[in-house]
Amino acid sequence: MRRPWASTSLFVAAMCAAAFGQKIAVAGEKLYSAGGNHQDGKPGVVLIEDGKIIGITEGNKIPDGYQHMEAAYVTPGLIDAKTTAGISGEYNIPADQDQDEETDPNTADVRAFDSFNPSERLIEYINSFGITTIQVAPGLANPVAGQAAIFKTRGPNSQLMTAEQMVVKPISAVVFDLGEIPKQVYGKRNKPPATRMMTAEIIRKALVDAQGYQKKWEEWNKSDKKDPTKQPASDLKLESVSRVLSGEIPAIFNAYREDDIATALRLAKEFKLKPVISSATEGYLMRDLLKTSQASVLVGPTLERLDGLETMNASLENAALLADAGIPLALMTGYESYVPKNRVLLLEAGVAAANGLGFERTLRATTIDSARILGIADRVGSLEKGKDADVVLYDGDPFEYTSHVTAVLVNGKITYQAAGSK
Amino acid sequence: MSPVWLLLHCRALVDVDWGRKVTFVSFSWGIEKRLEALVRILGSVAFAVALFVSFQLTFSQTSGSTQASTATQELLVVHGARIYPVSGPAIERGVLIVRGRKIEAVGAEGKVAIPKGARAVDASGKVIIPGIVDTHSHIGIGSRPSVPANEDVNEGTGPIQPGLRALDAIYPGDPGIRMALAGGVTTANIMPGSGNVIGGQTAYVKLRGKTIDEMLIPGTIGGLKMANGENPKHYGRDNQAPMTRMEIAAMARKEFIKAQEYKRKWDDYNKKVAAGEKDAKAPDRDLELEPLVEVLEGTRIVQHHTHRADDIMTVVRLSEEFHFRVVIHHGSESYKVADELAKHKIPVTLTIVDSPGGKLEATQAEFEAAAILDKAGVKVAINTDDYINSSRFLLREAALTIRGGLSETSALRALTINGAEMLDLQNRVGTLEPGKDADFVVLSGNPFSVYTKVLETWIEGEKEFDRSRSEDLRYATGGFQIADRYPKLIESSMGGAR
Repeated sequence: MRRPWASTSLFVAAMCAAAFGQKIAVAGEKLYSAGGNHQDGKPGVVLIEDGKIIGITEGNKIPDGYQHMEAAYVTPGLIDAKTTAGISGEYNIPADQDQDEETDPNTADVRAFDSFNPSERLIEYINSFGITTIQVAPGLANPVAGQAAIFKTRGPNSQLMTAEQMVVKPISAVVFDLGEIPKQVYGKRNKPPATRMMTAEIIRKALVDAQGYQKKWEEWNKSDKKDPTKQPASDLKLESVSRVLSGEIPAIFNAYREDDIATALRLAKEFKLKPVISSATEGYLMRDLLKTSQASVLVGPTLERLDGLETMNASLENAALLADAGIPLALMTGYESYVPKNRVLLLEAGVAAANGLGFERTLRATTIDSARILGIADRVGSLEKGKDADVVLYDGDPFEYTSHVTAVLVNGKITYQAAGSK
Repeated sequence: MSPVWLLLHCRALVDVDWGRKVTFVSFSWGIEKRLEALVRILGSVAFAVALFVSFQLTFSQTSGSTQASTATQELLVVHGARIYPVSGPAIERGVLIVRGRKIEAVGAEGKVAIPKGARAVDASGKVIIPGIVDTHSHIGIGSRPSVPANEDVNEGTGPIQPGLRALDAIYPGDPGIRMALAGGVTTANIMPGSGNVIGGQTAYVKLRGKTIDEMLIPGTIGGLKMANGENPKHYGRDNQAPMTRMEIAAMARKEFIKAQEYKRKWDDYNKKVAAGEKDAKAPDRDLELEPLVEVLEGTRIVQHHTHRADDIMTVVRLSEEFHFRVVIHHGSESYKVADELAKHKIPVTLTIVDSPGGKLEATQAEFEAAAILDKAGVKVAINTDDYINSSRFLLREAALTIRGGLSETSALRALTINGAEMLDLQNRVGTLEPGKDADFVVLSGNPFSVYTKVLETWIEGEKEFDRSRSEDLRYATGGFQIADRYPKLIESSMGGAR
């Protein structure tokens, strides 16, 4: 069974063998380093020690003293640029759904980090498809939705791990939601936002308020700080939004329709933010504006259900068209509300690859380019010396649905291994 | 073409209540059921012959336009492609000869006589498979976009709705239908949703035509949609029945017992009429029970939504009690009871999803399910449940079953002939064989490669989808309501990349 949480003794043995300090060599007939010092598609060996990549050698010769793994294809661990896996569980019952705090349209203070369930089985599931890093973001309901976090995934038999042990970046972005969903959630309760106008207004107000907050703190910090009664009151929401104003972390605007993307870019311009647009269903219709706004795009899933009006212009070629225009992009799976509970980035990537993006650009959009947009390229995204040993092994073209992931390594540890693979 | 086929045909077109008398045998049944059915057939053979004769006129009038004489029918020869007839091994350089709406011949190049005057289509380097049969779809009834104004899947006002007919809510102009064509689907079982214990009558259609009458497959009356497990329990939230799985089963049993009584009344009446009793009084018609009688008589198959293994066994139990023919739909945990299903000869049509969950009863869904069922001897099909999966990705769902261990041959059968058999359409569609409908799909390569494109979809000798036409391409790559500028944008920036 593919089910990763169905543990096997073989797996336990593999885990022990891959214990920290162990040296592993992963040989690929076709090795893709995605930006590393290797001619992609040629044979190569990734050398791993103490959870880090210590080098890549050409050919297929394994140095002595290494545990040996091999596969037809080897790539860096894949990065899902935005998902709710871990805060939205597979059972889809109120008990395991923590992605949308639908009580206030501005929840800038909430952190995905505080809802993340390391034991959520979807985490193990996507790990078995080679997804080793995920940006987990609050859902789709709030104009100011809250703070995203980046985690490594884990395998079924990983020892009990905490969010702290899995985290790469505890606060990685602030997410703003536009379009149909916020106004539907609140409008039907006769609360703002009931229109797109109000959604934009709520976001602008949050940003303006944060500007004022920043200013007060700057003044206080410049002052002699002698009168504590003049110290500005701490405000978690304003502090959160301040981080995107200062450029410390990106602002991610989730928008589908053309005009909602334009609204996001307008707001970004007004507040001098470097915008990241997620989903971007009609992004291909907006390429010039995205380009001049220096926006990056987290391309929403093509397999996503074309449900509402704002996804009716979805194109399987969205990623390819954006890439052709030179817009930096990453692939994401976002949020699924029903069966299936989750999209799988590897399967999304197949659709993108087959619809104009091609193999190498698709690989980059799920590895190094994604890491750059997320600000974690110093640790993950490519097979390069000094980076985390996140490696995926496949028995065929990774993007073919008939291929299999044969093994996955996270931080040099085997988190998934198909029965019978080497 | 059997008299029974003709009778069923008339049933669909004329909609008279004698349809209850029609019955026939399926080879997927056990010996007991076959004998039973045989007895029923003998019992009504005189009646059937009489009806056959009396309705011949009706038949020729209503379908005359679709049954043009062979002399005027266009001849088409598609040659050079690798053809998967499904009825036999792949033919490397094959020839497919189509006369009018039907397949005339299939074989290897050089071995099939090419008739004179045929229009030749060179498909060298391409791959041809039979038109895909989607056993579980909601296209045209569950709309794109999914807005309440257009949404007609679930009549959520009561859990027992056998009188409802999907055909009364299908919108042939819905973009979802053209998107399904772009995925190579030619035949679909369009069904009401799973919110009710008995959801209504399904429609067996071809994806062509401007009206539902043009879409409906002549001679078919559709299946009966039923559901158990989580979905019908939604009434419980309003303190209405059913609130539990127990009540779902009880409700279904109650309806079939009512139907048995209703059938008895009609049987008595018909016996009296046959015996020449002039003052025999016909029972009142009951639109809710008529389709259930068809189920009891075996002319209407129960198409049953069910996920969890125990819910699947509840369906098996009901089908045993009332001797009805049934197909398990979704069957998320069907692989756990594969041997039971094999024993009862109950087929399964699976909905393949990317990841488990989204609802509790689907958390055990596995890519391996199809392979396990196939190995156990259960007939397996793969469906879209469109909108759960987009019909454009049905081939890719099949590829995921191959990832789970199913052979390519079995996966191809699961997309075509197996589904056809679950809809009693195996004599019309599902394979490329002489005499069958000329429904086929032209692919750019290996059917199960993610890089393969559906190039053309043909239904009964007509090209209904052509990827090289920009107005069709938008349904293959775009959304369901594309701005006019879309093709221009794509063409200008993608150039010849596609």
